[in-house]
Parts: sequence; C-alpha cells; structure tokens
Amino acid sequence: MKSSNHNHHGLRLWETRKEFQPIYPYDRVIKGEDEGGCGVTGFAASVPVAGRHIFQPSIQMHNRGNGKGGGIAAVGLDPETLGVSQEILDQDYLIQIAYLDSEARAQVEAQFITPVFKVEHAQSIPTMDNWRDLKGLEVCPPEVWRYFVRVKTEVLQHFIQANKLYGIPARKVEDEFVSQNCYRLNETFYASLGEKKAFVLSQGRNIMILKIVGYAEEAALYYQLLDFKAHIWIAHQRYPTRGRVWHPGGAHPFAALNVALVHNGDFANYFAVSEYLSQRHFYPQFLTDTEVAVLTFDLWNRLYGYPLEYVIESMAPTTERDFDLLSLERQRVYRQLQSANIHGSPDGPWFFIIARNDPDAQKFELIGITDTSMLRPQVFALQDGEVQIGLICSEKQAIDATLASLAAEDPRFCPVADLYWNARGGSATDGGSFIFSLEPHNGQRVLTCKDKFGTPKVVPWYQRPWDGTVPEIGEEPDEELTRQVAALLEDVSGQEFFQWVKPRVLKWSYASFVDVLQTAVAQARKGDNLKAAAINGLTLLLDRRYDPGDKKRSHLLRLIMDALTSIFQDTPKIGKAKKSRFHRVDWDTRDKLAHPTQADQVLVLDAAAFPPEGDDCDARFLCRAFELGWRQFITYGYKGQRFLGCGFGLNTDEVRIDAYGSTGDYLASGIDGMTIQIHGNAQDQLGQIMKRGKLVIHGDVGQTFMYGAKGGEVYVLGNAAGRPLINAVGRPRVVINGTALDFLAESFMAGDPFKGGGLVIVNGLEYDARGRIRPQATPYPGSNLFSLASGGAIYVRDPYNQLVDEQLNGGELVPLTDADWELILPYLQENEKLFDIDIEKDLLTVDGDIRPPAEVYRKVRPVKLAILTKVEDSWE
Amino acid sequence: MANPKKVIALPTTPQGQPWEPVHTPARFRNPLSKYRVYRSESKCIKCGKCVELCPYGVFTKAGKYLRKPKSYLCLGFECQKKPFYCVANCPAQALRVHQHPVYNTLGDCRWNGDLLLSTWWQAEWGNLPYTDVEYRTGGSGGGFDRLRFLFPPRRGGAKIDHRDISLGVDLNRRGDGRPQIRVGVPWYGGGMSFGSVSINTIISRVQAAKNFNTLVSTGEGGYPEELYPYDDHMVTQVATGLFGVREDTLQRVRMIEFKYAQGAKPGLGGHLLGDKVTPAVARMRESVTGSALFSPFPFHSVYSVEDHKKHIDWMKEINPRALISVKVSTPTDVDMVAVGSYYAGAHVVQLDGSYGGTGAAPDIAKKNIAMPIEYAIPKVHQFLKAEGIREEVTLVASGGIRSAFDVAKAIALGADLVQIGTADLVALECLRCHNCESGRGCARGIATTDPELVDLMTISYGAARISNLYYAWSWQLKEILGLLGLRSIRELVGRTDLLIHLDYFDKAVDDDVRERA
Repeated sequence: MKSSNHNHHGLRLWETRKEFQPIYPYDRVIKGEDEGGCGVTGFAASVPVAGRHIFQPSIQMHNRGNGKGGGIAAVGLDPETLGVSQEILDQDYLIQIAYLDSEARAQVEAQFITPVFKVEHAQSIPTMDNWRDLKGLEVCPPEVWRYFVRVKTEVLQHFIQANKLYGIPARKVEDEFVSQNCYRLNETFYASLGEKKAFVLSQGRNIMILKIVGYAEEAALYYQLLDFKAHIWIAHQRYPTRGRVWHPGGAHPFAALNVALVHNGDFANYFAVSEYLSQRHFYPQFLTDTEVAVLTFDLWNRLYGYPLEYVIESMAPTTERDFDLLSLERQRVYRQLQSANIHGSPDGPWFFIIARNDPDAQKFELIGITDTSMLRPQVFALQDGEVQIGLICSEKQAIDATLASLAAEDPRFCPVADLYWNARGGSATDGGSFIFSLEPHNGQRVLTCKDKFGTPKVVPWYQRPWDGTVPEIGEEPDEELTRQVAALLEDVSGQEFFQWVKPRVLKWSYASFVDVLQTAVAQARKGDNLKAAAINGLTLLLDRRYDPGDKKRSHLLRLIMDALTSIFQDTPKIGKAKKSRFHRVDWDTRDKLAHPTQADQVLVLDAAAFPPEGDDCDARFLCRAFELGWRQFITYGYKGQRFLGCGFGLNTDEVRIDAYGSTGDYLASGIDGMTIQIHGNAQDQLGQIMKRGKLVIHGDVGQTFMYGAKGGEVYVLGNAAGRPLINAVGRPRVVINGTALDFLAESFMAGDPFKGGGLVIVNGLEYDARGRIRPQATPYPGSNLFSLASGGAIYVRDPYNQLVDEQLNGGELVPLTDADWELILPYLQENEKLFDIDIEKDLLTVDGDIRPPAEVYRKVRPVKLAILTKVEDSWE
Repeated sequence: MANPKKVIALPTTPQGQPWEPVHTPARFRNPLSKYRVYRSESKCIKCGKCVELCPYGVFTKAGKYLRKPKSYLCLGFECQKKPFYCVANCPAQALRVHQHPVYNTLGDCRWNGDLLLSTWWQAEWGNLPYTDVEYRTGGSGGGFDRLRFLFPPRRGGAKIDHRDISLGVDLNRRGDGRPQIRVGVPWYGGGMSFGSVSINTIISRVQAAKNFNTLVSTGEGGYPEELYPYDDHMVTQVATGLFGVREDTLQRVRMIEFKYAQGAKPGLGGHLLGDKVTPAVARMRESVTGSALFSPFPFHSVYSVEDHKKHIDWMKEINPRALISVKVSTPTDVDMVAVGSYYAGAHVVQLDGSYGGTGAAPDIAKKNIAMPIEYAIPKVHQFLKAEGIREEVTLVASGGIRSAFDVAKAIALGADLVQIGTADLVALECLRCHNCESGRGCARGIATTDPELVDLMTISYGAARISNLYYAWSWQLKEILGLLGLRSIRELVGRTDLLIHLDYFDKAVDDDVRERA
C-alpha cells in the first residue's frame, strides 16, 4: 500500500462513504424550489479587505434577488479578528454551525463536536443586538457558533484502522473525516428531521460562510463583518420563488470542505446530477442546485484528484468546433472526462463563482465558470498595481461598485479596472473560466489570473498606477497652460483640445495630466461654449484609445471621469440656472423639472440616487422630461440603473443622450429615432426591439444585444458578448469593431441588405496596451454564426480567411462584391468618425499593405434552408 | 324565425349597449348537422304539410317549391314521439330522418361533433340548441368532460334574476396604483397572431370583445393598424420571437402579456411555416417573405426569475399604465412559477394547460408535455393561498376551454377567469380539421393570411357569430350561478365542493341548464 497515486488515495477514501444511506428516497430527490435567479459577486485581493466592500455591490444587485436569501463567504481570514493564532487558522478546520434552535447546541456539541474534535477555540459569532433593527429581515437569523478544531488523534486512528486507510496522508483522511462528520451532523439535525434544528454552514480551513434570510449585505451587517478582513469575498443575492422562507439553509454559498460556491442559474438536470452523485455516495441534503454543484466539485477535485482544468471541463464540457480545435492530447482526455461525467455535468443556464482555499498549494483561489452556452451574464475584471484585485460579477456595475467602495477607503485601489472581459463558455480559447490565485511571495500574497488552460491574463508591467496626489494649485495658476487650454477650447467639438492632449499623454506624468484636466474644468466654469468644449474634449479623452506611456489607462480614465463629473456637478441646479443652457437635476431636485425655456437646453441628470427600476426610476424621469420638451441629455453617476432611453415612444429623432458611468441593462431598447452614446462599457440586453435611431457604445456590450431588433444604426467599439442580434428583423445596421463570443445573428431575418434590409459588420479588432489597433486572434471565435438565418448579411473582416464553413449553420461565405463594399462603406465611414478607426490605415491595411476590400472582407449570406421553407411532415 | 328560447338580459357593460343576438347563419350551404332530413323528390307531392307541421322551420317554401330541408334545425329521433313528426305525417312517405353520415367523422375527441354543432348553434342564434346535441362537454372521456356541477334540487319559484348576477372580474388585484381593468365576462380572447389567423378573424374577435367589455390578445405577430381603434380591448403579446413588438404598440394597450410558453407545445417555441409568411405577414413582422419564422424557446434574455423581473420592469417602464400578464405552461412545478411571477410583479398569471393549441401545434407535443389544466388550476390556487397571496393575483386558466361549462368548472377549480381561443374559431365555423399550418392555411378562411381565402369571411359575420356565442355563454354562466345560489362569478372561485368527478360519483348527474320543455 505504498502508492502515492492521488486518485488511488481519493478512491479509497471515497469507498468509506459506501455505508452512507440516501436521505431522501429515490423518487423524492426533487428540487426544493425553483430558483433561477440571483446576483453573484466576488473578488480576490492581494491585501485583506474589509467585508464592507462587498456591501455596495450587494445592494446594487438587490434587483437580482428578492431578499429571501443572501450569503457571503470569505477566504484568507485575519487570525486576530478571529482570536486565534495564524497557525490555528492555517491548520484547524473552521466549522461554523447555525443553530436554528438554540437548545440544540448542547446536543450537537455532545454528539458531533466534543467526542471527535480537539476544539482549540469556540465562540458564538457576535451579532447585532436586535435583528429587528435591520428593516429588511422578516425572520431572526440563526445563532452561529464557530469552532476551530482538529480531529482527535485516537478518533482519526480508529477511522484509519476501521477503513484500512493505511498509507494515505493523514491530512487527506482527516479532511474526509471532517466532511463525513458534517454530513452526519446535517443528517441528524437538519435533513432527516421534519424539524430542522442545526446545520453546518462551512467546515473548511481558513474559509467561512454566513447566510441569512434577507439580502447578502444584511448577513454582513447582522454578523458584524463590516470590518472583518479577508482576501477573498463572495456574495450572493438569492431569488427563491417560494414566498415564505424561515431559515437560511437553502441560501448560498454552499460549502464542501475548503470550497464555497455561489451560483446564478438553474439546472435543467438536477435529478440527473443528484443521481450521478448518489451513485457515488454523495447525497444532497438541502435540495438545491448549488449544493449539488459544490458536491460535484468536491468529488472531482478532492476525491478523484482532478486538477482544476479537468474539474472545469467536467462541469462545462468543450463542444462543437471548439472541441476540434483542442490539441489531440486534450481531446483524448476531455473525451474521457465527458464520457465519465456528463451526467454530473450541470445542464442549463448557470454561472458559478467559487472561492476556495488550497492549503497544500498555499493558495487562495477565486474561480468563475460559465456554462457552455453562456446563458447567464458574467463579467471578469482585473486590476494590477501596488495592490491587486480580481473580480467576478453578474453585472459590470457590481464590479465598479466594489472598486469604488475600495478606492474610497484605500487610494491604492482605482475605481476603474485595468481589464474587463467575458469568458467564452466551453471554448478552446479560454475554457469559459478564469482563476484568480493568491499565492504567498515574500510574506505577501500575489495575485495571478489564468484561464482554464493556464494562459495568464496580464496587464503591462511597466504601467504604473497613479499615486493619488493632486498637484497643488498655487496662488498663481499656470497662466501659460490656462491660455493654451482656453485657446484649444475655442473649438466646441473638443477635437482641438483632444488632438493637442493625445500625443502628449505619452510623456506626461500623472501630475501634468491632472493639471491639464483641472485647467479644463476651470475653463468650463466660464461659459456654456467652453463648458461644451470641455465636456466634448474630455469625452474624447475618455472614449478614444491612445498610448498612455508608463501610466495606466484605467487611472487616466478615472481622472478624466472625475474631471467630467466635477464639470457636471458645477452645472447650476435646475430652477436656479439663469444664463446657462445646462441644467442639472438629481434625485432631490427632480420635482423642480419644468419645460425648457429654449430648444437647445441640455438637461444634466445625476442618476446616482434614482432607483434602478420602477415608477421613480431615472428612465421614467427622462420620459417625463421628454414630454416637457427636453431633447438633449447628459446623464451620469449610473450604478446600473436600467432602461435608459426606453419609453420615449415614437419619433424621437431630436433626442440625444450622452451616458456616463455604469449604465444598466435594457438601455436603448425599443428606441425610435434617438441617438444614445454610451461613454464606456455597456451591460446586457441593450437595444432589444430597437426600431430606429443611433446607438454608439464606446466599449464592450453584454449579452443578447439587440435581441429582436427591427432597425437602427449601431456602432460598438469593443466586443459583444453572447447572442447579439438574435432574432433581429427589419433593417438593423451594426458595426462591431471587436467580435462576439458566439451565436451572432442567430435566426437573423433582416431581409435583403441591398433593398434596405439589415447587416452586421464584424471587424474583429482590439487595442493593445499602447492604444494601437490590431486584429484579434480570430475575427470570430464561436462555433455558431448566422445560424438559421433567413435574411440580412454579415460582413467579416477576415483577411486571412480564418472563418470556415463549420462555423455557419444556414449561411454561406461568399466573396465581397463592389456593390457590397458600396453598401457597407458609409457605415465604416461613420465608424471612422466615431471611433477614429481609419478605413484605409486600420481596416484595409493588412501586413503593411493596403488591400482591395474584397481581399479583406468576406460576406456571409443566408442560404435557403429546406427546414425554413418546407412544411415539416415529421410532426404530423 | 325559429327561436324557441326566450332572450334574457345580458351582462350590462359599463360602456355601450348590451349585445342582442343577431341571427347569423352559416357561411356555407347545407350546414353540417347531427341528423339528416331526406325528402325524396320523386315521392314528394309538394303538399306543404311538413312546412305547416314542423315548428322548428326545417321545411320552408319558396313560392310553390319546397326548399331543401334545413337538417340542422331538426330535433332528430326525439321528434318521433311528437305529434308533429314529419316522417309519420307525410302523406306521400317522402320523408326520412336519419343520422347524418358526416356526424361521426366530425371533430375529434376534445371537440366532438356535438360540441362543434352546439357551438355553431350558439354562434348562429345566441342561445342553446333545443336538439339533443351536447353543449356542455366534449367526448374526451377525461378532464373537464368528467367533471360535473352538482346543482341543488331545483326549487320552484324564486330564481335569482339574471340582472342581479355579476360576471365582472377585476384584473388588477395588486393594489399597486396601476389602473384597474374590469372585464364584463370571466373570459378574454387568447393570443392568435396576425399570420396564424387572418385580420378579419382578429377584428371579429376584438369587436366581440368590445361588445362584452373584455379583451383579446394579439398573439405574437405584431399589432396591425386595423386594431388601433380597439386599443382599449387589446392585450399585446410579447413572446420569445419579439415579432412585431414595438414600443409604440406596447404603449397603446392596457395590458401586456408575456408569453413564456404555450401549454400545447411547451419548450418548443413558435413556428410559422414559410407558406404562411405572405408579404403582409412579413411586413408586419419585418421579416423575409416565404421564410419560416421561429420564436425561440425561451426568451434569450430571460433564463431565470430575476431576468423575468427585469423583463417585467422593462414593460412597466415603457407603459406605466399597463397591467402585466404572464403566460406560462403547466409543468409540474407550475405553482412555483406562478408564485415567482407574482413576486416579479405580474398582475395576471395565466396557466396554459395542455389541451389547447390549433393544428399548428405538433401533435406529439399537444397533451403530452404540460399538465392538464384541471390539475394545474387547483394546484396553483392552493399554493397561492398557502403563500398568502392568492388575493393579490389574478389567475387565468387557458388551454382547451371550450364551453361555458368549462369556464365555470375552471373558475370553480380556482381560476379567476379564463382565456379562450379555439372556441372563437369554432364560432367562425372552424371544423377542427387540423390543417391550420398547411399550405396557404385554413380552407374556411379563418387561420390564413392568403388574400383569397381571407375574403371567405366578413368581419360583420365574424363579430356577430362570436358575440352570439359570448351571449349564450353569459346566459349559461348566469344560469349556473343562479342554480347554485350565487350572485357573482367571484363567489364561484375555488368552490371545488360544487363539483363532482364522475370517476368517484355513481349517481346520475344532470347539470343541463336548458329549460325543460
């Protein structure tokens, strides 16, 4: 028995579970309740951060939960707060037990704690004095006790001998013992009883979970975690459909030893996964998707000994063309993983955020995994610098909220991340998963980010963060600079200012940059034209890409946004403005809204305090302003507020909205004629059923962009996530300068582009860290392009003919004709104007030479599919 | 005019005059019938005795000629005992009455010959047939066809006057400040899209809805301009293909209906075959003429309940005065779905059971996937009660509601009101031939967009037929309520105690509401 084979150890440990009996009879393993929903958020930081920072993103995702379940998990805790030594924290199991019935504690301890564990430290978790002080709570949260324990030597010895577990590292046996002990505890006091008395919240090392019947942040408040520090935090807003929930047993996160998992989505094959698990002697106790998800993770990782890559593959199998693109060796392994585990692989929409402690490797990890079809929203972000942080959330606004919260307290954090991206589920490119690892290095934790295949995600090492200092404004402002900026701002379009700044940024220090921004802000106070010019100039600085030199683009953006915000804040409040055509309105002054006195007046809306939806939301407020005659809007301060531009009704051609900040879902849906510019990244479900008008996104855009759209001109600087333009009809004209994750223009039915129908241009470009345009690795990575389409056309910039027929299902690749080029040229010209993407220099130049359009672009057009035209007999 | 039933006052609606039945005969010569009256031309001596004898107007004269007998008015074999039985009285033995050979081939189990014939009758006359065709149930041998009302013994004398019985239902029970919609009858028209049915069919339905102060849903196929005059009676549907969904049409209506799934074909989405995508349909849906249209399943933007809430919030933002209805099919966890929809902000939750669906729904899906509606209604009703929110949700049942008795049974099982579809089409003389989706569509010009076939039916005919049916249904519902001693349809909700199931009841049950001869 000297084998050091991990699998061998794991399987032998696993065999000790064979005596377990299923808790629920075969036909009773059904989900306790449906829950699609949820908002998930998580971050991993190189320095321990306080629980308060999970607070704001949680609040901002209230509309993804319903206050019937929330929870948080923390990994990499602070020993002092817990009142133990670092050694105990590292070595002991931190068992947290929720006592639904406080009488049960003595029983639980007598049966499952004291006889088997050496308890090094035990305490009741401090709480608020009165749970009723938290207005949102309907039931009293359970009393939670925390125990730091090791298994008693004699108990472990007995376990080893009884099960003949000789030769297996003692720690592994101990892990299994703890896991089984917790299972039995739950079985006795939670699952099998009609009466539920106590359950284990978490049982791993240096990891803890708290949950509540309420919103996630209420768990943080109630259990007094605001100042509790940890490296990794994850939080979950739950949306159970059942109305009455009296205890948080079903709330996320769920734990399996050193792993905590939160989940957004819904398994279609819950029963199959439960069966798969019970065949392997893992039995669900809480009857939720999330629980079985974390059990499969535990089974595959701890007992089967799969490396993380294989665990991820088992959860989200690589399929279709992506599978063919894998190396032969990976194909061989993956095929076996899929054959063995497909029944344990969750089907349906899901997105997991996992926090775990890997004590053997001394790593804390934060992992995000999306399902193969990318049916749930997900955004990843990375910030490097003196402190590093990796974030994973359901919505980008939650990332921004986390960073804003951190930056407000610690200047080493920046409110803007260096990178934002989406994972492509089950893909050969990133595997639909990213892992943020915190490893010890010189007494500190260092954050790295890698995808499923181990490819690192990095930001340029030479770019330094802003140190947070603002240059002193002397008695005498720099007159030379003031004159210079004033002259540049003569040009209301802001172009002159921008063109002057752009080449100089490279050499400037942060201080010089801030100086220029402040000068522009000062100028903006001097009159409407200067104000407009400053706004336009700074907006160009915000939107366009240029070489930031040794500075971080994220920090420049933050400074520009600060400058713009102060210009907006300087705008006189509505009702008080006498001379200016700019009028500012916010939540407090919303009732003062009146007719504009002149046609060219601009309403500057501070959306920050508006609710994200409902009758009082900012989007409805703008509809009212529109009815009163307002046509020009600048809106800022967004924290994910939804539906901007919706509800204005027909013929809004005169309306123009410039939106800054973390704009929310459904923006520009259904618009008819208006122009909306989004200065930054956009979220999910933009431009649904959009009819007419112009939408410009100076960044990336999220899921199901322009679903069911009827028309409109749309320009996207970056990428679109999954399923853009699905089911679109009519005449949408769209330019995507990046690419899409997958399912672009599925069921596209937009007529004949030469007779006014719709088209999509995909340029497949990206910017490098120095602001230069370059082609992406492939212009379209997905396996499904233009599937089942019956109308319209897609034009792909594909000079190396990387697009292949296998990616199409219902379309055909044809060469570009002159007529095609004439058709798309005006949109590329507008694209050039908006984003400074030069047709000749950037689009038609390939390997240094200007090529004719037909050699650069390829067209995908629909083929008449029998399935689309013939009566389908098989149904009858 | 042979109309032996007396006309009784109809639900008074707050607007417009109550509908009075208008005789609207069949569009086709020789209406189908259960019995066939055969007159031998060779034997007949044209004495005209039959014309004098028959009180039902089967025989008519045109000058000195006798017209072909109107068999569908004939009492059938029952007449044999009557003194005016034409066959017995014919001096030339020229007459014969036998069962019509078509009768046995008519319809299907759910909509059997009797139910089709009686519905056609109600649509023609606005009252119940005096013949022995069954008007309450079909022939499925299950579902509503095995449920009966157990009326208390009829006491002579005081019956509640129909004018004192209310059929109105409020749709907004959330008390969220959004406007109230009170429909005059406990049903409204389910979604059938422009494309799946003709514009004449749609306008006929909405005119009838207007006559009875209720609503009709557009289905997923856009909002044709012809419907603009009826905005207040339209429900616009937002379904997974988002075809024809535009902000301005969403803002026109008082209620917006999300269709997540159809009970007839849950999980399958919609499918309009290429042949039915005529230029007019393609224009309305802004798609390609001749290319089939798929509505995906599910919404690509809604994979979970928080997405669903967001979706509802979106509609509420676009139209601040509209109510929101959520149409779902009936999986085993339909109760959870209903509760989730309520918490997401829906005013109306519509359960679409497995019996409905036109011929366009695949047979393999119909009846085989979703839960039968008579199981789903009480399941959801009880669950909502247990959650303490039943009073705040309006529960609509649909999927195979064929007769006034089905309406009453669905309500007694726990629904607040029902949605109907096929019954409207049957009123327009749909034959249940199940060829809605083939070729150019319906041979009777109902479920088609083919310009020639559409002209087979006028709107005035259609509106009158459906209104007559609604009239007859209202009358029956009031009779049912009156017999049960109830003064409002609201009092019937959830009264399962008034129902019996024939599997567990061995005494004879008679729930015929027609007056005895």
